[in-house]
Amino acid sequence: MACHSPYRAPPHINAPPDQGFLWNIFQRVDKDRSGVISDSELQQALSNGTWTPFNPVTVRSIISMFDRENKGGVNFNEFAGVWKYITDWQNIFRTYDRDNSGFIDKIELKQALTGFGYRLSDQFYGTLIEKFDRQRKGQVAFDDFIQCCIVLQRLTDVFRRYDTDQDGWIQVSYEQYLSMVFNIV
Amino acid sequence: MSYYYGQGYPGGGNPPPNAPYGGGGGPYGAPPSAPYGGAARPQGGPYGGYGAPGQGGQYGPTPGGAPGGPYGGYGGPYGHQPAAVNIPPGVNPEAYQWFQTVDTDRSGRINLKELKQALVNSNWSAFNDETCLMMINMFDKTRSGQIDLFGFSALWDYMQRWRALFQQYDRDRSGTISGTELHQALAQMGYNLSPQFSETLVRRFSVPGMRPGMQLDRFIQVCTQLQSMTQAFREKDTNMTGHIRINYEDFLSGAIVRLM
Repeated sequence: MACHSPYRAPPHINAPPDQGFLWNIFQRVDKDRSGVISDSELQQALSNGTWTPFNPVTVRSIISMFDRENKGGVNFNEFAGVWKYITDWQNIFRTYDRDNSGFIDKIELKQALTGFGYRLSDQFYGTLIEKFDRQRKGQVAFDDFIQCCIVLQRLTDVFRRYDTDQDGWIQVSYEQYLSMVFNIV
Repeated sequence: MSYYYGQGYPGGGNPPPNAPYGGGGGPYGAPPSAPYGGAARPQGGPYGGYGAPGQGGQYGPTPGGAPGGPYGGYGGPYGHQPAAVNIPPGVNPEAYQWFQTVDTDRSGRINLKELKQALVNSNWSAFNDETCLMMINMFDKTRSGQIDLFGFSALWDYMQRWRALFQQYDRDRSGTISGTELHQALAQMGYNLSPQFSETLVRRFSVPGMRPGMQLDRFIQVCTQLQSMTQAFREKDTNMTGHIRINYEDFLSGAIVRLM
């Protein structure tokens, strides 16, 4: 056995689930047996851990990321990506939701986003909580946390494309500005 | 010194999951810098008037007659109610009927799911979640995520005014707004934007799997957000040059505060 060898490959901590496992899940989620998981099918299958329906806007954001043919859903191959994407976020969220409440507060949100490399003011974190706190608890649930990160990433990407000299400032015309923000809605 | 936005996900932290197709490159690359002509310039002025948002604040009335603000509609044209029906004053009777129909648990408030049952596009599809959420946020004064009868009545009036405009601008009666039709609509509302901009918006907001065209829900969403973002731009464009200089965090918060 190779287990004593110092050269063995490191264990896969997050080994990808095997196809049979995923296929079982896919079939359970694909309620109408169409071969494509729609927004509402995925929404019903997802839990944000707080007994409230999963944010439908987050569901749409995730499906549109993986839906290659713009068919309004994901097939089995694409679902593997969706599954990995959501479990990755789940693992991240859990490390910041230390009391397992299903919510992270402003300080934890700041820790998470700072961990991703964002440098943002405290005031801005207040804005984020206010906007993404769908349940009005002063904290952010799992589904809203994902949506918050997706929106931040898209806005940052589009800003960066204009900030060619990387000084944190851009100069844009009216139509350019609108195109930038409509890129992400 | 180079400015650091984050997002490089440098070693230390947990890298967030990556989207397979990268962050939304798509058709929205840098727009050409050439000056765009063609749009109506109803307001004149040095920068050609960016358009719709009127003088009356974020959702103010617009030159082209686009529906105005969320809180303007209370009272409205429906002052005279038949005494027999117990409709509170200022509530649109049609909205009242719909409210009773969809508020199945008789809680006196309706949530996103219930609202979706009341709003349909011309092809009978339900309104999309983003537009419903946007309108709930506009008319939900208590920030509860639900709206009461008065909020719903105002929302209903708001939607009906957009529906009338939608039908007016849907010149070929196809039930959807094409890029050309959207460009004409925006020009009449007073926006000075290129035809390409409208084409891009229609492509972006077409229903997946259908021929390109914008349904009523997306039309309302786009026009409302256009008003809102134009107002945001205006606040930065103090010299009215049509160009702004904006830093990273101001850009983020401007978009996040106004878009959702």
